[in-house]
Amino acid sequence: MHDAAPKTPLPKPARGLFWNPYLQILLTVVLTAAAQILLKIGADGSTGDASVGAWLGINELADGWTWLGILAFVSSFGSWLYALRFLPLGLAFSLTNGVHILVPLGSWLFLREHLGPLRIAGISIIIVGILLLAQSVAHAEEKV
Amino acid sequence: MSALTWTLVLISQLALVAGQIYLKRAMTRREQADSRGWITLLVIGITTMTVWFLLWLGAMARVDLSQLMPMEGLSPLLIVVGAMIFLRERLDWRGWTGVALTCVGVVLVSMS
Repeated sequence: MHDAAPKTPLPKPARGLFWNPYLQILLTVVLTAAAQILLKIGADGSTGDASVGAWLGINELADGWTWLGILAFVSSFGSWLYALRFLPLGLAFSLTNGVHILVPLGSWLFLREHLGPLRIAGISIIIVGILLLAQSVAHAEEKV
Repeated sequence: MSALTWTLVLISQLALVAGQIYLKRAMTRREQADSRGWITLLVIGITTMTVWFLLWLGAMARVDLSQLMPMEGLSPLLIVVGAMIFLRERLDWRGWTGVALTCVGVVLVSMS
């Protein structure tokens, strides 16, 4: 995995299901999906003008949904930092693509949005990709 | 998307990659016997991620999410390449295929 200068091998996580880094990645994904939806609701509700505040997304901070979204983002950040202690960045980040499975599935389940064939194909391809990434992680851990 | 929006989205993606690399370096340093400076790395990482967050929030307010998603789909690829260069991480063929498939999948999901 790290062929040059592996100063410290990746540490072993504490025992117990909750401290499993993969469960923490799943938590990151669920919280990020919630955050994205909340932030979009907040952004839609704000007025768009051409000021500096608008470009930096400052105006959106006035919306309560945005703050709920930020809360979800901060929580997802905690579980993400925890997972980073135990997993390589490239693989861990790619696993967070699970967000793009959860958002359309959640919209279909809870908001009754239409789930077209293209979207189903996309979700399936992401699932295969994530399974391959998970295998890659398992393989890398065997070598350590 | 206007040229200005494109530039801001590009800067936000670069901030995302840089921020994640600093976060990983902070968490790696924290595990070492000499963990000095890991807080500094964490603060740099969080600051850079804040830049990404505000730019992305601003972009979401004026661009359809469906237009932003292909950029979002590219981010794992950018992170993997960044981690290769700056963290000396290596991916096997499963990892590369997985990254490529998820990128394609994200674009497909955003097209419908």
